Amino acid sequence: MFIDIACSQKKKYNQNAYGDYFISGRFPNMNRVVAVLSDGLGSGIKANILACMTSTMLLKFMENNSDIEKSCEIIMNSLPVCKVRGISYSTFSAIDCYENGKAKIVEEGNPDFIWIRNGEVLKPQFQTIQSKDFKNRKMKVYNINLKKFDRIIFCSDGATQVAMGTKEYPLGLERDGFIKIILNKLEQNPEISSNELSDYLVRQIQLIAPERKLKDDTSVLSLYCRDPRESLIFTGPPYHQEKDSYFAKSFMEFKGKKAISGGTTANIISRELNIPIIAEMSLNAGKLPGLSKMEGVDLVTEGILTLTKTLEYLESGKPEKDAAQTLMKFLLDSDIINFIVGAQMNKAHYDPNLPIEIEIRKNIIKQIAKVLEEKYLKKVNVQFV
Amino acid sequence: MEKISVKVCLGTTCFVMGGANLQELVDIIPRKYGDKVEVAGSPCLGMCSIQWNYSKAPYVKIDDDIIEEATVEKVLEAIDTKLGSK
Repeated sequence: MFIDIACSQKKKYNQNAYGDYFISGRFPNMNRVVAVLSDGLGSGIKANILACMTSTMLLKFMENNSDIEKSCEIIMNSLPVCKVRGISYSTFSAIDCYENGKAKIVEEGNPDFIWIRNGEVLKPQFQTIQSKDFKNRKMKVYNINLKKFDRIIFCSDGATQVAMGTKEYPLGLERDGFIKIILNKLEQNPEISSNELSDYLVRQIQLIAPERKLKDDTSVLSLYCRDPRESLIFTGPPYHQEKDSYFAKSFMEFKGKKAISGGTTANIISRELNIPIIAEMSLNAGKLPGLSKMEGVDLVTEGILTLTKTLEYLESGKPEKDAAQTLMKFLLDSDIINFIVGAQMNKAHYDPNLPIEIEIRKNIIKQIAKVLEEKYLKKVNVQFV
Repeated sequence: MEKISVKVCLGTTCFVMGGANLQELVDIIPRKYGDKVEVAGSPCLGMCSIQWNYSKAPYVKIDDDIIEEATVEKVLEAIDTKLGSK
């Protein structure tokens, strides 16, 4: 089971900084995902700092399996005190879940999470823990078992209280109104990804707000348990040439999506399996060689230049229209990404007369794998051959 | 008459050494020669890894002949010669 997790946020109207903060960590070796959504007191920079501190600390505590009760006391004691209200405050929702379905959820002050299975909202049992140092602060702790296709939605109170005081929503959208929107969308599109769902939900909430001006920061964190989407990227010719045929065959037999990055690599597969390949020549391909076409392969690009650019786009999040953008999308549309990296080097690439710096393939792939794991929470396997 | 086949290498080395400009050929060749000449890209002709000692990228293959340090002018000239001798 794969846990697809995504958070979408919108700022309060007229603010420059987000007052809610989302942070998550994936531990592929432990098949574990940890995520925290925190809503800081007030709005703007002050709220941002409070929420950021809360969620970052909480994530670290949870990663290390610290006692949650103690962790929360430490956090509340270390937050800066608001000048206006004289308190240090931020609410949070945190989830620590494993791919076998075991999950622990802790909530303090945020709206209760929504657990959806087969189009129905479940009502899980919880335990209440009272803070020793802070009155009025109670945590809810849930230990639940997730099944495949379950969804969990967390939100900040900006979502449930949107449009409060208007004729249609005197008390705001409220939990029930929010659930209705979610269930409607799930009925239309039962397999929607977490990313699309959370994006959709915050957009809907903004549409409900009078004049589309949100009066509070609004965040939706969505979690979806599903089968992982797997992909394989073959880049670089294998070091032992006699193994070309073996790798070409095992590449083609792979069940998920397939990509080749590298002209020589594409030629090897084309030669070994006797599948023709054509490179697209285009005047508008940007500064990178265009894509090639090969039957049975979802994407074929040039190698080093495209990979270098893809790494740049993954880091900046701002792709331009070219082959690297296509490769980036290919990577981000997968949950588990496998790289087969051939170690054969082309000496021509190291000719100092080449006008630009060309990196060693191994290094680029290592860096791409790192960004995919750390920034995009993907599971990445790299095999050097 | 058999068509002349022009293959432009779009591999890494060729592309950075000037192959990018050779993509103009997709536009020029059909206009100039109609269907007498066929032009296509190749993910890599594999020339630079054989002749790396005296790298002459970018390469273009016209039927079975390799043009080294190819430019649009060089390619068109080679096509003209070929057509003339046929």
